[in-house]
Amino acid sequence: MSKSKKVIVVSNAFLLSVGIENLVLELSGMLVDHVFNGSEKQLFAKISSKKPEFVIVDPTSVGDSLLKLIRELNQEKYMKIIGLISSTTNQNIISMFKYTLNIQNSKYELIEVLKSIVGKEDKVISQNEQLLSKRENEILKNLALGLTNQEIADKLFLSIHTVMTHRKKITRKLGIKTVSGLTVYALMNKLVDIREVERRV
Amino acid sequence: MLLEKEMKLADVINHDYNLIPVISRFGIMLGFGDVSIESICTKKGVNIDFFLTVLNTFHDPQYFDKKYLQNFSASLLIEYLQKAHNYYLDNKIPEIECLINDMAIKLEVNKTSHQLLRKFFEEYKEEFIKHIEREEKRIYPYVINLEKSVDKGNVSSTLLAQIKEYSINSYEAEHESVEEKLTDLKNIIIKYLPSSEQQQSRYKLLKELVVLEKDLHDHAQMENLILVPKVEVLEKIIINKASKSTNK
Repeated sequence: MSKSKKVIVVSNAFLLSVGIENLVLELSGMLVDHVFNGSEKQLFAKISSKKPEFVIVDPTSVGDSLLKLIRELNQEKYMKIIGLISSTTNQNIISMFKYTLNIQNSKYELIEVLKSIVGKEDKVISQNEQLLSKRENEILKNLALGLTNQEIADKLFLSIHTVMTHRKKITRKLGIKTVSGLTVYALMNKLVDIREVERRV
Repeated sequence: MLLEKEMKLADVINHDYNLIPVISRFGIMLGFGDVSIESICTKKGVNIDFFLTVLNTFHDPQYFDKKYLQNFSASLLIEYLQKAHNYYLDNKIPEIECLINDMAIKLEVNKTSHQLLRKFFEEYKEEFIKHIEREEKRIYPYVINLEKSVDKGNVSSTLLAQIKEYSINSYEAEHESVEEKLTDLKNIIIKYLPSSEQQQSRYKLLKELVVLEKDLHDHAQMENLILVPKVEVLEKIIINKASKSTNK
């Protein structure tokens, strides 16, 4: 799984924010990082410090400062700003948003709209994500043999930092975190021989 | 859903099956009849605020209600936690060991895989037992001493030294590593244990692991969200008292 994308919600309506959190969870790799109620001082600064990929704004919670907030948010090019609208929302307000979600839509309509806003970028990569690279296999082997990060770094002429990065990638690809778990994996897949592993103790 | 004392216990169980092992730790056995939570607690002599706190914590990980914390003692909580430990050690761990062996007996896995799993689980078990022992031999007695000291109103200097030496905060992190191993085991079985025609025992094993994982997670949650704040309150009372008496 790739790094998850952050969503910030601005709404003072509990029911709306809970609903949005649920909706966002329907798409993999996304999560609601924080909910603001819209009346916070320095709201823009607070939002941008979290560096979210998406900001979902409920216009009624922001009131008169909506235009100002959207202008500020638009300066941050990496953010996509999504407005929550309904059939009674004023046309002037709707036109402020490049993207909108209509709260009266059904669940699957909303998912489709959200998907199209999010885009489909890194879907392709996930296919070969499970396969370990040659380097990762090598590191996994040595972990199973009982070497520490430092020992592996010395043996393979890498920095300890690089070894740690590889380890994180291995864990992410396999879904296994502990050294004993990784050892079981390595043995089951015959990356190492059981006698070699037993020799270490 | 917020669980409350007027609710029928049977409805609550039907609503959330994860609560089945929890009620037995209070001595409430299945076949309890069509009763409300309140009446079964009165009948069994169970502290109702405590019972509700435990049920709600297991039911909704986000549940945390400070107001009930004052209504039961830390020793009551510890008694419960110890019962849960016994349940893990006497029931759950042996059941899982049995299922791992079943897989080999029924030829659902080859010999090497079986040995690997068994060894991995043995390691997990050792770590788990060590963790429980540390809690029961060091942390729980410490908490009980704190509470006794507050109840009696006297503070010993050894206790004061203990408070300064290790604050309860340090112990939250320890839960994580025990959880990680179990998650690894689960993923190995789902993804990497070589496939076979017959998988009955494997399914049972996986199911047991999922249930145990959730149970342990909620158990740790109880310790982190209920025991730790309670102890922090006790520690504060004692420190305040001690500083007052030195000022005199």
